[in-house]
This record gives sequence, C-alpha cells and structure tokens, in this order.
Amino acid sequence: MATLELQNLTKRFADGSDEIVAVDDVSLEVGDGEFLVLVGPSGCGKSTTLRMIAGLESVTSGTILLDEEPIGDRPPQRRDIAMVFQNYALYPHMTVRGNMRFGLEESTNVADDEIEQTVTETARMLEIDALLDRHPRDLSGGQQQRVALGRAIVRDPQAFLMDEPLSNLDARLRAEMRTELKRLQGDLDVTTIYVTHDQTEAMTMGDRIAILNDGRLQQVATPLECYHRPANLFVAGFIGEPSMNFFDVTRTDGQLVATGFEYPLSPSTLEAVGDRTDLVLGIRPEDIEVVEPSRAANYDGESHAFDANVDVVEPMGDENNVYFTLEDGSFTATVHGFHSVDAGTRVTVRFPESAIHLFDAETGEAVHNRSLEDVADETRTQPLD
Amino acid sequence: MSPSRSRFRHRVRRVRERVISLVTGSGSDRRERGNSSNGRRDQGDSEDLAAAGTDESARDSVRTNGTARVAADGGTATSTGFRVRDRLDRLRFNETLQAALFWVPPALLMGWFVYGAISWNFVISLTDWSGLGQPDYASLNLEMYWRMLDDRSFIAAARNTVALLVVFTGGALVVGLLLAILVDQDIRFENTFRTIYLLPMSLSFVVTAIFWAWMYNPETGMINVVLRGLGLEVFAMNWMSDPRTKLATIIVALTWQFSGYCMIVYLAGLRAIPDEHYEAAKVDGASTVRMYWRVIIPQLRAATTSAAVVLMVFALKAFDFIFVMYGTTPGPSADILAIMMFREAFARTNWAYGSAIAMVLFLMALAIIAPYIYVQYRRGEL
Repeated sequence: MATLELQNLTKRFADGSDEIVAVDDVSLEVGDGEFLVLVGPSGCGKSTTLRMIAGLESVTSGTILLDEEPIGDRPPQRRDIAMVFQNYALYPHMTVRGNMRFGLEESTNVADDEIEQTVTETARMLEIDALLDRHPRDLSGGQQQRVALGRAIVRDPQAFLMDEPLSNLDARLRAEMRTELKRLQGDLDVTTIYVTHDQTEAMTMGDRIAILNDGRLQQVATPLECYHRPANLFVAGFIGEPSMNFFDVTRTDGQLVATGFEYPLSPSTLEAVGDRTDLVLGIRPEDIEVVEPSRAANYDGESHAFDANVDVVEPMGDENNVYFTLEDGSFTATVHGFHSVDAGTRVTVRFPESAIHLFDAETGEAVHNRSLEDVADETRTQPLD
Repeated sequence: MSPSRSRFRHRVRRVRERVISLVTGSGSDRRERGNSSNGRRDQGDSEDLAAAGTDESARDSVRTNGTARVAADGGTATSTGFRVRDRLDRLRFNETLQAALFWVPPALLMGWFVYGAISWNFVISLTDWSGLGQPDYASLNLEMYWRMLDDRSFIAAARNTVALLVVFTGGALVVGLLLAILVDQDIRFENTFRTIYLLPMSLSFVVTAIFWAWMYNPETGMINVVLRGLGLEVFAMNWMSDPRTKLATIIVALTWQFSGYCMIVYLAGLRAIPDEHYEAAKVDGASTVRMYWRVIIPQLRAATTSAAVVLMVFALKAFDFIFVMYGTTPGPSADILAIMMFREAFARTNWAYGSAIAMVLFLMALAIIAPYIYVQYRRGEL
C-alpha cells in the first residue's frame, strides 16, 4: 500500500509528422488506500495515463511517484503494481489456479505451498474456489472477471490499476460487481486507480473522481463535489444523467437574457459574475420545478418562472424525464414519477436561483455554482469543501 | 382444366407440403438446401396466399383442405412419416446423382492414380520382381520386408531419415519461431525482413542444393573462406564429403530453406494473441524470456502442430535436394529412405524391394498426418 503521485505527466505520440498530445501535464495525488476513478470520454487520455503508471507506455515528460519513489524509468515488472484489463487478459492455456499463481511465481520467491494457500484464500474470498481447475474458456464473463480480479489481488501489490474492468459485463452484473468491487477495495485497502468512461461507475465507486478531457485534467474532487460544484462546463455536462441543461445567455443590467426567457439575478450572484457579459446558464434537470397547471396562477408574478412546451415525456417509474422545447433550443427536467405531465401541453417551469450554475461562455470556467444550503442535509456525511 | 383451376390445385399442394413439413419437422432438410431458395419459396407462398385473398371461395377451400390435412397427419403420423422419409431419401439420392457430374471425375482420377497406385505398389512389394520382365503375382509374401531388417544400408537410411526428420523439424521450428518473435517486435521495415526470410521458400530445391554446395565447397566455399579469414582454419572441413558432417549439411540447408515458412506460420499465431496477454504477463512480473516461455509460446501450439506436420512430411521426401547434392549414392551417412527407394527401384531394378521401401515411407507419412487430420476432424475444422 502506498501513495501514488503524478507530477506534470505528459505523453505525446508521433503521428507521421504530426504530434498528438494524449496526456497533457496531468498532476494528481492518490492517497494511501484511496479509490480514485479516472473518468472521461473515449480518447481523453485516461487509459494512456493508466498505462504509463503501469509502465506499458513510456512517459514523454513528468514524474510518477509510488510510495514517494520515482518509478517512471522502471520496467513494468519492477513496479509492484497489479492491473486488471478490460478484456481480462486471462491466459487461456492455464487453469484459473495457474492464472492466479502466475504473478506470485514470477514476481516473488514465495514458497510453493504458500502461493497455493494465498490463491485458495483469495479464490474463496471471491467465491471462485470451485472453479480453480477450470480453464478460462469454460467460465462465464462474470467468473472471468472475478479471476482477473483474483489474479491482481493475490499479488498484494502497492497499487491496483483497473482499465474499464466492468465494461464487458451485462448491465445487471455490472451493477452487482460495482458494489462488490467497491466493498472489496475497502476491505483490502489498496490504493486503486480505476479508469472508466461511465460516469455512473465514477460517481458510485470513487472516493474521488479525476475528470479528463482532451488529455487535460478538468477537476479532481469527491463525486458530490463534481456534481454540485463542477469546475467548468465540461465537468458540469459530463457528470449527471440526464445531463445538465445549458442556455447561452447575455447579461444586460441585472438580468440574463436568453432566447425565450429573461432571468433576473440577485445582487450576490451578480457580484460573482463581475463584468462578464457572455455566460452559460446551467441547471440540473431535477432542480427545474415543473408547476402543476392548477397552481400555475401562483407563479404569475414569479420572475424565475416561464412557460414552455412539453415535447416528450419518458416515464422511468420512479421519475419522469420531461423534454421541453423553447423558441430556440430545448431542455430536460425530471419530475416525480407520480407527477403526470402530458406531451404537447404548455406548462409553467421555474428555475430556482439557488440551483443555477453560471459559466464563462469563453473559457468554460464556472463563475457561480449552486448554493448548497438546501442540499446540506443530504451531504453532511460528505463534506464539500 | 381451366388455368385458374390448375393454379388452385397447385396452391393446395404447396400448402399441404408445407403442413407436412411442419408436422414431421422435416423443415430442416429444406433449409439445408439453401437459405436463399427457402426464403424465395416463403415469399412465393405468401404472395400466393395474398393472391388467393382476391378469390374468396378459393381461399376458403385452401384453408379447409389445409386443416383437414393436419388432422389426418396427426392421426397417422407413422405412415406419413415413412412416406415423407421415402420421398426425402429419393430427393437426397437425386441430389447426389445431380452432383455426380462434379464429384465422380475427380474421385475416379484420385482413386486410380493415387489410391490405385498405392495399392498396386503394395502388391508389387509382395512379389519378388526384379530386373527386366514381368512381376509374378502368383506367389505373394512378405519376403521383401524381412529383407529390410537384415539390410544394413536400409537401417542406416531409416536412421538418417528419422534423424533428419527430428532435427530438421525441430531446427526449422526453433529458427522460425525466433525470426517470428523478432519480426513481431514492431521493427522498422518489417515487411522487407519478412520477405527476405520467406524468400528461400520460393526457391526450387535444386537451386538451394546447388547454392549450398557452393557454400560448402572446401576450397572456395563461403563457409571455409570465412573460417580461414577469422583464423579458425582448424574448423574448416570438407563438409560435404566428411561422413561426420554430411547429414548436418543437408539439415542446415533444409532448415535455411524452411524456417521462413515456419516464421510466417508463427507470425500469424503471434498476431492472434491479444496484446493484453503480453502486457498482463509483464505487469505480473515476468521477464521477457519468461513471458514468451510461459504465456506466449504455449499459445502457439496450433501453429506448431500445423507447421511441424508440413515439415515432417517434407523431410520424409527430401529427395530432390539430396539427389542434386549427392546423386543416388550419398553413402551410409547421408542416405535416406527416399533416395534408397529410388536407387533400389530405378538404378538396381529391384522393383519389389523399392516398392517395399516406398510402403514403409508411406506408412511413416501416414503415421504423422493421420493423427493430425483426425484431431482436426474431431474439432470440426475439416
């Protein structure tokens, strides 16, 4: 177990005469025993980062410190790191036992019976002890996944690296394994970097999330912080499903003007905006209030409410996704499952000022995030600052 | 009969056939004959039924007939089953017959020139035919086979054949594997190297033999010239005439020619192994040598088998190569069964003895290839 630190890590690939920057000056620190999820869209450099840590990819510049020792120049064999691959990479000609023994046999001088004992114990922990003498081809996807995990766990390495290990499982099994993996990591208390493109995995599993885009680190924070206090437009749009609604707005005097509505700002928000005029207004679907027609009259004088057309309603059971159209553009709101909204009607919606995010339209940086007073109760166990 | 009436009958018959095939489950047979025709037929049926829709009475009759047929079939399943099977058997027979045009000529040619010749050769080996004249088929015995056991030149040739088989096959596989691993390292000019290594394979054995005879030449040959140049004159030998190195010269030259082929087979095998296996082994702590030894090479078993079978069968008949280098009398240290067979039969006109040696070679080849074909067949790869 150890801390893992990346300092100004950069990777450039030569592509003919062009140069592609896959990872651009990434610095982050993973605490001892921490579960850090590296998330981003495909091609953002997250796998390259992981492979550099594993030693499977050379480092163009920057430093990798494992337990405060630089490991960037060491071959993968000498890094004491275990990796779980997307396609498991089980050795097809070896039994499950052979697969799990391999790492210990190659990387340590542990006696044979001791290896056997470790393998058996790990297999029991993962509930694959009945499969030890089978070959990978005779296992289901979920079982192969467990063997791949077991192979990493038996080595008792300084750190685990996982490269989208759940992406080949079906949806139900993936949800199951997500929980199990999280619990397992907590029990083993091994520093872990987990790469995924799936923001649900990132949110549910990570102690902290590191969000990458175009090779650049966007934000490193706890899942809830990323959700409620996104550092920029990219993070705001990437985290959350359905994703945050964005509106291009211009500030004129004390209010924001969008095509379709006007939105007055309170003095404190205005102060955060400063003298910027081009902004992006963001609001999460669940924060939009959809007003029942019977109560619409109450919102007549309300400055943060306006009317919009309901385009499509997607019932999810516990909630409904309601898609609205505006004069120019559209947005999504989620309402409670029992709150019925009919497609094709015109209803009143309200964007509470406490829930809006404002981003600089040019740089994408967040200039104002939602106030957390009304959500403080829910997040007390996870301090946000 | 009016045209509409005949069309109606035709339609009824089709529907009936359809129901029978559904009830007896013989639909699969139809599928075997080709999906495209099946699809076309289904479409035709539905078109027919749609057409019937314009003619109310006709459609009703079809339906009645169809239902009645189902009931009748359900009642007399066995007899209908037999009748249907009969009809299907006839059909299958017809198909075989129809295909005969394609399979009979090659079967006859193969049967006569390959299997017929082998059988005839076996019969000759049982006679004591030699010299001019005709074989005497009246007295057949195993005398020629007993003679082999006492023949020192046969035993030497058999020993050399096995030695050549084992060492050449092993050598070519090892060199081919090493070349494949080297070429697989994402090297520059990979295609060029691959072509260079494979090129010897495209040469005729006669060319290879003459070329290596030059190399081995004790005075002007490349090997001795280089050895002398390096001051290792003690090692400069008369490679091709020294009985100690004679067989080795053949093995080295053959290995040179065939390792390119092994490289290609292994390269295909290596490319089929996912990169993740290499990476997983490295992260697991295995050195490069250990990684290849424990993770990669074991996965090349299929490539090894197929390359080895080809090499071994070739080694058995490495005739032309030795014939060009040494003629029909390479001497006991380089003689192999293929050369001996030729010598006995065509130089000494011991036809029966030559045939018996040929049978031994044939059985050796069969022993190599039969298990391979059997395994392939069982895996459904043939």
